[in-house]
Amino acid sequence: METKIGVFLCNCGGAIKNIDFDAAVKKVAKFPGVTCVNLSSDLCLEEGKKKMISCIRGENIERVVVAACSPEFQEHILREVLEKAGLNGHLLSMANIREQCSWTHDGDVTEKAVELVKMAVNRVRLLQPMEKKELPVNREVLVVGGGFSASNTALQLSRVGLRTTLLEKEAVLGAGTEELESFYGFDTGSMISAVEVDKNIEVLTSAQMTEVGGKIGDFSVRIRQEGGEILRKYGAIVLATGHQTELALDSEPQLRAEDEAISGLNIVSQEQFCCMLGNSGLETEPKTIGFMFDFSDENSRFTTLATLNNALEAKKKWGSEIYVFCKNVKVDSEGMEKLYREARDCGVVFLKSEAPPRITAENGRVKIEAKDVFLGEDVILACDVLVAEELYLPAEGAENLSSLLSIRRDSKGFFQDENVHLYPVGSEKKGVFFIGGCRGDLDLGRVLTDISSVVMKVHELLSSGKILVELEKVKADPQKCVACLTCIRVCPHGAIQLVRVDGSKEVAEISDLACDACGICAAICPAKAIKFQGYRDEEILAQIEAIQEL
Amino acid sequence: MNGCIVAFCCEHSAYPAADLAGKLRLHYPENIRVIRVPCAGRVDVIHILKALEKGAAAVLVLGCEDGACHHITGNTRAKERVKYCNMLLKEVQIDGRPVAMFNLSPNAPHKFVSAVNEITKIIKESGR
Repeated sequence: METKIGVFLCNCGGAIKNIDFDAAVKKVAKFPGVTCVNLSSDLCLEEGKKKMISCIRGENIERVVVAACSPEFQEHILREVLEKAGLNGHLLSMANIREQCSWTHDGDVTEKAVELVKMAVNRVRLLQPMEKKELPVNREVLVVGGGFSASNTALQLSRVGLRTTLLEKEAVLGAGTEELESFYGFDTGSMISAVEVDKNIEVLTSAQMTEVGGKIGDFSVRIRQEGGEILRKYGAIVLATGHQTELALDSEPQLRAEDEAISGLNIVSQEQFCCMLGNSGLETEPKTIGFMFDFSDENSRFTTLATLNNALEAKKKWGSEIYVFCKNVKVDSEGMEKLYREARDCGVVFLKSEAPPRITAENGRVKIEAKDVFLGEDVILACDVLVAEELYLPAEGAENLSSLLSIRRDSKGFFQDENVHLYPVGSEKKGVFFIGGCRGDLDLGRVLTDISSVVMKVHELLSSGKILVELEKVKADPQKCVACLTCIRVCPHGAIQLVRVDGSKEVAEISDLACDACGICAAICPAKAIKFQGYRDEEILAQIEAIQEL
Repeated sequence: MNGCIVAFCCEHSAYPAADLAGKLRLHYPENIRVIRVPCAGRVDVIHILKALEKGAAAVLVLGCEDGACHHITGNTRAKERVKYCNMLLKEVQIDGRPVAMFNLSPNAPHKFVSAVNEITKIIKESGR
């Protein structure tokens, strides 16, 4: 017996003017399998939905075609309507006769609209029902890192009731938090002791991840500790491995070649300068100090903040003359503008130069030459200490982590590449998140935002202990699969694994939890073993079949 | 379907772009038939060739911008397949009907319209 298809045409409350609906209804009614054609003007309103439900029930319709606005707006709502009427939500196909037909063409477009409906009818005939099921997930979270962002994430996750493991490769927690204390006056000590007493947080120090397998809700992680290796299961993985800085001196090759007299004391990093500031027993206080930033790295948020803080501190402590050489001062973080103004009011001189300054040695001092953009002339300055430009880089081991988790990094090596379709804190792999310095040059405010968004996302995913998924949306047929591994290689979401069935044969299995339904595997499978419900070859070709001669 | 352009539109970029073109009342030739796909990477060689076999004047594959594919590699795979299709068509000497890939973002309705116009121009020039 032929499948009963019901077609619902909607004129969107009169928004579709150039389609002759009466003529369309007559033509559509002749398509094979179409048992009833309804015309309405309010399918998206309660009234229209009620009529639709009663029609589906009354006429015993098995599949539904809706010809109205774009599926982008109403598809998910109409699926719910179908389920209320007792049909599987997936037995629906939409014909976009508004945005992509009526509104883009002048004159009568009834013919095109009818053809679009025919394409949808052809597709809906082949659609198969899809079941939804709640799959259990592990509620524990692994946070990699032991600095500010990692500890804070663990604390917040514990607050929402999720057990967390902190994986720190150093022997103690709190590496790199000294900067926060000096820049923001943040009390990191109490934060770390809060982590240590929290019952929901397990701290593993001197530990490293050596192997990661599985998928969201069920990651199995092998951890190497001093005592040996352990295998743990987690629902989600959060990377908060932070950053490291490196002096951008390699871009100044003439410096080392010309004069080796410049000792390490004259050219220092921000961190070393911080130590100098903290050291009260300094033999001679520097009279003139130069700073440099924003030449070799455009992302200079962090170095700008460090420079402003350190310059102000030096001015207060030693009353030195301070010159800052930079391309641009970027003050887009909270409190930065105020800090910049304060520095200027104190007498810190900012010199804007397009090219990086030339650095040479002169009588044991550092000579800086730069062309000031506003003066239009060269500025030559001999200073006692030069705080050199720093590059902001992801912390050591990021490469290893990215290959373990098989996630991509951007051109600078940070996690979360510039793809606009991904969440700022999310990866292409479901259940893997990034926070703070490991994903870019962020200030404290942004790191806190990251933490909140990740905690919310993880809570949403794992708190109930199960996730609702569509079962077998994309499925590899074990009979046809020849285990050529092509799909495993191409899957951008790492959702496919090889599993053993019937004792000996190994076949590809697509995880319903990790799959993001792109269909790349379905297109590439040489054995045509992978079926993507709703977008199977038959369903796409049936649509092409419906296109008639114009 | 002589004279029809079959456009495979990725639901994360080209499809919303086409919708936006509708909302802005941007006009483009009527002979385009959009087939919604979850990712340009879902489009297989067989889909393109079948469309040509049925008599499509041209086949378009529209996906996300380079480096910004919703599914990371879908658009590059689609591009490879379009290239492969063109190579096949040339080999069996039924080249002439354009098979092309365009990259656009969901907020670029003008790019959608210009892609359709461009392909229409190519069809007209080839005298079909």
